[in-house]
Amino acid sequence: MPRTLASHDVPALAAGAALLGAGGGGATTVLELMLRGTPHPPRPLHAVGELDPATPCLAVAVMGSTMLFTERLPALDPFAEPVAALERWLGTPVPAVCWAEVGGMNGLTPLALPPRRRLVDADLMGRALPDLDQFSLLVDDVPGVVFACTTGAGGVVLLDGSRPADVEQILRTATTTAGGWAGIVVGGFTVGDLARHAIVGSVSRALDAGRGFLAARHGDPRELARAIGGELVGEARVLGAAPLADDPRVTTVDLVAPDGPVYRLVTRTEHLALSRDGRTVVAAPTVIVVVDAVTREIVPVEGVRRGRSVLLYAVPAPAWWREPRRYARASPSAYGLAGLDVPVPATVPAGPAGPAGPAEPAADRPEAP
Amino acid sequence: MSTTLSLAGLLAAPRTGGVRLVAGREAEWRDVVVETAEADLPDHADGALAVLTSPAPPTPWQTDALLRRVRDRGFTGLALPEPAREVSADLAQRLGLVVLAAGRPTQLARACWELLAQRDALTLSLVRRVAQTIEYHAEDLRDLLRDLAANLGHAVALVDRDEVLLEVGHPLPPRLHAAVDFSGWAHTVRTDDGAAASVRVDSPTRGGLRLVLHDRVLTDAQLAALTTVAEVAMPMVAARILIDEVVALSDVSRSSGLLGDFLEQRGVPDPEVARRMRERGWRTIGYHVGFRMVARHRAEPVDLAQYVSRRLGAIPVDSHVTTRGRGVTGWLSYTEAPSAATLADHIARLRRLHTDAQSQYSIATGVGTLREGGPGLSATLGEAADAARLATTRASTGWFLHIDRLGLEQLLLAWTGNDTFAPAARSLLEPLSPTDLRTLSAYLDHESQVAATATALGVHRNTVTTRMQRIQEELGVDLTDPDARLAVHLACRTVVPPSDA
Repeated sequence: MPRTLASHDVPALAAGAALLGAGGGGATTVLELMLRGTPHPPRPLHAVGELDPATPCLAVAVMGSTMLFTERLPALDPFAEPVAALERWLGTPVPAVCWAEVGGMNGLTPLALPPRRRLVDADLMGRALPDLDQFSLLVDDVPGVVFACTTGAGGVVLLDGSRPADVEQILRTATTTAGGWAGIVVGGFTVGDLARHAIVGSVSRALDAGRGFLAARHGDPRELARAIGGELVGEARVLGAAPLADDPRVTTVDLVAPDGPVYRLVTRTEHLALSRDGRTVVAAPTVIVVVDAVTREIVPVEGVRRGRSVLLYAVPAPAWWREPRRYARASPSAYGLAGLDVPVPATVPAGPAGPAGPAEPAADRPEAP
Repeated sequence: MSTTLSLAGLLAAPRTGGVRLVAGREAEWRDVVVETAEADLPDHADGALAVLTSPAPPTPWQTDALLRRVRDRGFTGLALPEPAREVSADLAQRLGLVVLAAGRPTQLARACWELLAQRDALTLSLVRRVAQTIEYHAEDLRDLLRDLAANLGHAVALVDRDEVLLEVGHPLPPRLHAAVDFSGWAHTVRTDDGAAASVRVDSPTRGGLRLVLHDRVLTDAQLAALTTVAEVAMPMVAARILIDEVVALSDVSRSSGLLGDFLEQRGVPDPEVARRMRERGWRTIGYHVGFRMVARHRAEPVDLAQYVSRRLGAIPVDSHVTTRGRGVTGWLSYTEAPSAATLADHIARLRRLHTDAQSQYSIATGVGTLREGGPGLSATLGEAADAARLATTRASTGWFLHIDRLGLEQLLLAWTGNDTFAPAARSLLEPLSPTDLRTLSAYLDHESQVAATATALGVHRNTVTTRMQRIQEELGVDLTDPDARLAVHLACRTVVPPSDA
């Protein structure tokens, strides 16, 4: 019996997407507004095992500048052209759709597609990540994966069998041509591929974490940690944030806790690592969530500013990422940042994981203050 | 004496290669470890300072981790090469780690080693610097102390019990000065204001002097080394004091002789004297105001001349001073006649100099009038000498007398106004009525001519004759006697103001 996803679930899914966005991935606001305008009856959210493994599947995402997305608003079906091109290329209709990136605004994009495809409870990242070659299908080098992407004014680029790095580079260029952001569609894989080469159950996990967050949001910070399936690392006040001299895309944030510890948060497009007293305690792919201590808003990377008091949470990365080769593709060193990686967590946690399956704890358990 | 190195001591020490405090406040280190990188440091250090010669890692979080690892090894201090920009002061504070940035880490390491491990090396290096000071040609004692202070990197002062005679570097704090022991040979002292090592200066001409080497912060090792340095440097200082005195004495005696020759020639020097005067920068052309200071009690003219010479620099005009007899003679020279206001200002400054000198020397000062040319210089110096002679008896004017525009008569008159003569004059002339007094005064002023006196007073000449006979009887003096006549004349001037006469 599949779970269902109804219009009233959108706020919880949006909150869960923001949590798994790790400070990046873009705001869900525009998509929430789009979905509010077109109410749907409740739709089944199929677990991977519930569908025929041979069912062709696609994944959709908006890529590019998340800020431009709020300025140059999307059409009601931004994926119509690339999906049509993809189906034409594959020569067969694709009846199922999964999430490409469950974190950030892409946590809602599959719902913006016309509702005739079956929703599959899986995604290709398990959180928000910045680069296309971090899609699980590319990390695992799954053959036959096809990409289609709008290039603006009705144009579409279709990429078949490219190397992951080329996919990233060419689609990034297409996005620029399209005007800053573009709808991309991934195809050429089946629901059966998702079982091994994607993060299964991640939509349910986002939904549950989002519900938990909305319910416990204004309560005790530790309760909130339990509700979102993570751990409270600490509470601290932001002393300042400065871009890194060698790489201005990277920002380091100094924080100090009222009870003494000194934190440093390193962010890029997402929160990448958190150290306490000179020791890295959490690092990607573990999801670092920054919550305003007063308003209890989820704080994006650009919102971590001097004077703000924040709660710092670590939400375990999906177990899929724990395999060392995959882990290396999402760790801080994947972005050229040395000295921030934490070892692959070795144990499967016994604590409250998301209902979507096993997950990992924070890389290094917080010390008692 | 403990063998620790404090943060404050290290920051204050010279030749540390430009060390800057980045984070932390206080620390005491028992050991210093110098390595290229953090990985080479020992695993267990107890309260030591780590000096790393390779730069800090490029990112702030790697620097954070470096601080953490250094602290975990037990170090409480870390010195990194400049620029140590990415160090989080908050983290350093949290970890209890003092972080320093070193311009030249190897030099810092050497300084730490000297301060902590090798006192003899520190002493030796400082003594070698004293030797460099000896090698350098010093103009005078001040120059010598300046060079010593620069070479040592600490302040130097020459003091007696009451005052600081000479100092170079930052001033000797009064409380530190008060804490210096003057009884022994070598002595070290610490107060809140700083620390000092001092040594008695054995000078044959000046007793009770001490050479003090001091600074705001000194470690025990530095203080011990500076004591040795003071002992080594002391004979050099004592010798220099003696040399300066001999040089000053011979210079003063030469200039004093020259002034004597000039005055003997009454302001018109022969070519030889004129040449010697030119060599000294003594000009005769232009305008001059002479002054003379004589000791009311015993005083060494050479000391006084030196004192006055130093202080004359404050008067913005060409000035000279030398010894003459038991006092000093000097003058101010102007190329053009100064305005009355300028002259008055300079005389007032001379008077201040005179007043200030009273605390050390009991002197009387006379100042002459503004005169022009060589003869004028000779004349104004003569006036100054006369005025100074008078000033010795003038307690009421503070032993200072300026002749100004007074003539010689007034000078003489001024002399008669002194405390001894005035009462005697009054008692001598007491029997006379005011009319008789005026008559006597006019009679003496007019060279005892009856007709002229009568004209001056507007009376008949017989009246004058009658009055004069009566007056001579009442006074009991014979006005034909030159001495008696002079005494009575002076007495009249004392008792009757000249305008009344």
